[in-house]
Amino acid sequence: MKGYRLGAIGIVITFFTIITTTVLLPMILFNPKPTGHGNNYIETVQANPARGRQIFVREGCFYCHTQFTRLQDRGYGPLVRAGDYVYETPHQLGTARTGPDLTNEGGKFPSQWQKAHLINPRALKPGSIMPSFSYLSDHDMNDLVAYVQTLGNERKVTHYVEAPEEYKASLARKTVDTSSDASGNAGRGLYTQNCAACHGQSGRGNGPNSVSLEKKPANLTRPFYKQYPDDFWFYRITEGVPGTRMPRFGEVLTEEQRWYLVAYVKTLQQKNEQTVDNLSELDKIEQVKLPVLTEQEWEPASGGD
Amino acid sequence: MFIDKVLSNKEGSASRNFLLSALWWSLFAIGAGMLAGLEFSMPDLVHNIPQLSMPHLRMWHVNGVAIGWLSMGYVGTMFYMVPALTKSKLWSERLGNFTMWAWNALMVGAFCTLINGNTEGREYAELGAVLDVMAVVALILIALNIYMTVVHRQTKKLYVSLWYFLGSLFWFPLVYIIGQRTFVALPGLNDAIIGWFYGHNILGMWFTTVGVGMMYYLLPRLTNNPLYSHGLSMLGFWGIALFYAPTGTHHILQSPVPEWLKAIAVISSIFLLVPVLTVLTNFFMTMKGKWGLAVTNMPLRFVVTSCFFYLLTCVQGPFQATRWINWYLHFTQWVVGHAHLALLGTFSFILTGAFYYGIPRLTGRQWYSQGLIRAHYWLKFLGFLLMMTSLTIAGLIQAAGWNFGVPVDQWSLQIRPYWALRAISGVMIVLGQILLAYNTFKTLYTPAILEMKAAPQEVKA
Repeated sequence: MKGYRLGAIGIVITFFTIITTTVLLPMILFNPKPTGHGNNYIETVQANPARGRQIFVREGCFYCHTQFTRLQDRGYGPLVRAGDYVYETPHQLGTARTGPDLTNEGGKFPSQWQKAHLINPRALKPGSIMPSFSYLSDHDMNDLVAYVQTLGNERKVTHYVEAPEEYKASLARKTVDTSSDASGNAGRGLYTQNCAACHGQSGRGNGPNSVSLEKKPANLTRPFYKQYPDDFWFYRITEGVPGTRMPRFGEVLTEEQRWYLVAYVKTLQQKNEQTVDNLSELDKIEQVKLPVLTEQEWEPASGGD
Repeated sequence: MFIDKVLSNKEGSASRNFLLSALWWSLFAIGAGMLAGLEFSMPDLVHNIPQLSMPHLRMWHVNGVAIGWLSMGYVGTMFYMVPALTKSKLWSERLGNFTMWAWNALMVGAFCTLINGNTEGREYAELGAVLDVMAVVALILIALNIYMTVVHRQTKKLYVSLWYFLGSLFWFPLVYIIGQRTFVALPGLNDAIIGWFYGHNILGMWFTTVGVGMMYYLLPRLTNNPLYSHGLSMLGFWGIALFYAPTGTHHILQSPVPEWLKAIAVISSIFLLVPVLTVLTNFFMTMKGKWGLAVTNMPLRFVVTSCFFYLLTCVQGPFQATRWINWYLHFTQWVVGHAHLALLGTFSFILTGAFYYGIPRLTGRQWYSQGLIRAHYWLKFLGFLLMMTSLTIAGLIQAAGWNFGVPVDQWSLQIRPYWALRAISGVMIVLGQILLAYNTFKTLYTPAILEMKAAPQEVKA
C-alpha cells in the first residue's frame, strides 16, 4: 500500500508541476503586445445600439435622464407622440430629471464627446454631478454611445444651436470678410485684449482666468466649432454664453470689431481632436482633452443615418 | 432538534424573526441611500466601482427599503397583531418561519443582482424573474397563514385593523403580479401605464393600507382610549379601496397617454382626500385627552409623528397630482421629497413605533435603553425634516429652471447646497437606525432585568 501511495503522490505532483510550468506560467509571463500588423477582428465590429440600450437600462440612466419632452421644455426638440414608444420595452420614460432630457440627444454631440463625457463628465461639463462610468468596458461604452446617438432617430434635431432671428439682420449688415486671412489678422489684437485672459492665447480654454472659473472657458481649437456659422459666433460674442461668466461684448465692442473677432476665432479650430494617453490628464486646468479612441466605428450598423 | 431551530414552532418567533430581518436589511438599504446621497454632493467620492455607483445604489436602496425593511417589518407586525386581534395563535409558526427564510433568500438575491445592475429596467419593479416568483410564492404563503389565523379566530367581530390587513394581503400579491410584468413585454406607453399602476399601488394597496391598520391597532392600545368611531373607520377603508387603485397615471400626466386615463387618475387622486381625512379624524379624535402621553411614551410618539406626516403626505399628494401643479413640479426633486415623506416620514415611522412596541412583548425583555430610543427619534425626525426641506427647495429651483428654460448646467449649480443638506440628513437617519440596531442587540443579548407579560391584550372597542 505504502508504495502505491508514494507513487500516487509522485504522479499528482509531477502532473501539477508540468501544468504549472507549461500551461499556467506562459499565461502569466507571456503577454505579447499587438504590433499593428495582422488582422484585428474585434475592433472592426460595429457598435450595436440595441445592446447599448440594455446597458442604458443596466446602468440605471433613466433614474436621472427622462425620455419624453413636454410642452414647456425648451430646446429639447419636438413634442413626443404616442406612436414614438411602440418599441420601447421596458419603457425608459424616466421619473426625475437630475440631468437633461435625452429624447433627442442623438447627434447633439460627437460620439467622441459622448464617450469622454461618460468617462469623466466633469472634464467636459464642469459642475456636473453625473457619476463617472469609467468602469464600463470599451465595448459597453461604444454600444452605449451608439444607442445614445440613435435617440430621436426619426425626429432628429438638424441644428445644434442657432442664433436668434434678429441676428440674421446683422449678418446682412456685415462689412467684414470673415473668411479672409486679413480680417483674421485684424481680429488677433482684439482677441488678445478681450478673450485671451480666459480662452488662452492659443484658444485652448486655458487662460489664466480659467483657474478660478467653475465653468471652464470653451476650447476654441476643437474641430467641433467648425460647424458654427458666422451669425452664431457673432451672437455668442455679442450676448455672452448663458450659464457661464462670458460677458456680453456687444456692450463694449462695435459691430465691426465683433466681426473681426469672428474672423479670428474661425482660424483657431484644428483639423483633428487632440487626444491624451491617460485619464488623469483630463482633469488638468489646461484644456479639455479627449481620450485615445479605438478604431471601432462609432455609428450604428442600422438606423441613425 | 434541527427543524425546531431552523423552523421554530415557538409562539411569536416568526414575528420576531421577521422584524429582526427587517432591521438587518434596513441597515444596508438605508445605508445605500445615504451613500447615493453623498455621491450627489461628491460625484467622484467612489470611483470605478460599479457596485457603488449612484444608479446601482439607488436600485438597491428603493428595493431594499420597500421589499426588505418595510415589507418584512409589516409582515412581522401582522404576525404579531393578527393573533392578538383574533385572540388565537398564528395558524402555523413553522410556515411563518419558512416564509421568513424565503423572504431573506429573496433579499440576498435582490442585493446581489441589483447592486450589479441586473435589473429589468422597470422602476420599482427591478427584480428579476426568479426573484419575482419567489416573492409571489412567499406572499401567498404569508397571506394563507394570516387568512387561516383569522378563520380560526376566537373573537366574533373583525376589528378594522384586520380589514386592512386582510385587504392588503389580497391586493398586494395581485398588484405585484400585474405590476412586475415579469413575463410580458408591452409596448412602451402601455408598459409605463402598468408600471405606474404598480409604482403607485405598492404604496396605496400595501404600505398605506397595512400602515393604517397598524395605526388603528397601536393608537387605542397605547393611549387606552377606545377607537372614536367604527363607522368612520369603515368609510375610510372603503374609500381607500375605491380611490387608490386608479391613480397611477398621475405620474405621467404630460406624456402622450390617453387623456381619459389621466382624467380618471387626477379625479381619484383628489377624491383620496376623503378616506385620508376620515381616517385621520378618527385617529386624532381617538387621541383626545391623551396627547400628553406622546411626551413620555416613545412608541406612541413615533405613531403620532407618523400620523401627522401621513396628513402632510396625503394633502401634498392630491395637490401635486392636479394638472397645473404637476406641470410645474413634475420631474423635480420635490417629488423625491414627497416619496420620502410617504415611505420614510409616514410608514417607516409607524413601523419603527410598532417595532418599539412589539419587541418587548415578543421577547419578554424591556428595552435596553430609553435614551437610545429618544436619540433615534430625534435623529430620524430632524434628519427627515432636513431631507424634506432640502429636497423640496431643490425641487422648486429645478421646477423654475425647467419652466423658464434655464439650461440644466446652470440651475444644477444652484441646488448644490441642498444636495449637501440632503447628504447630512441621510447620515442622521442612518445613525438613528444604527442606534435602533444597537439597542435591539443589547436588549436581546443581555440578561433581562424585568419580565413582561407575553400575551397581548385585546384592543378596547
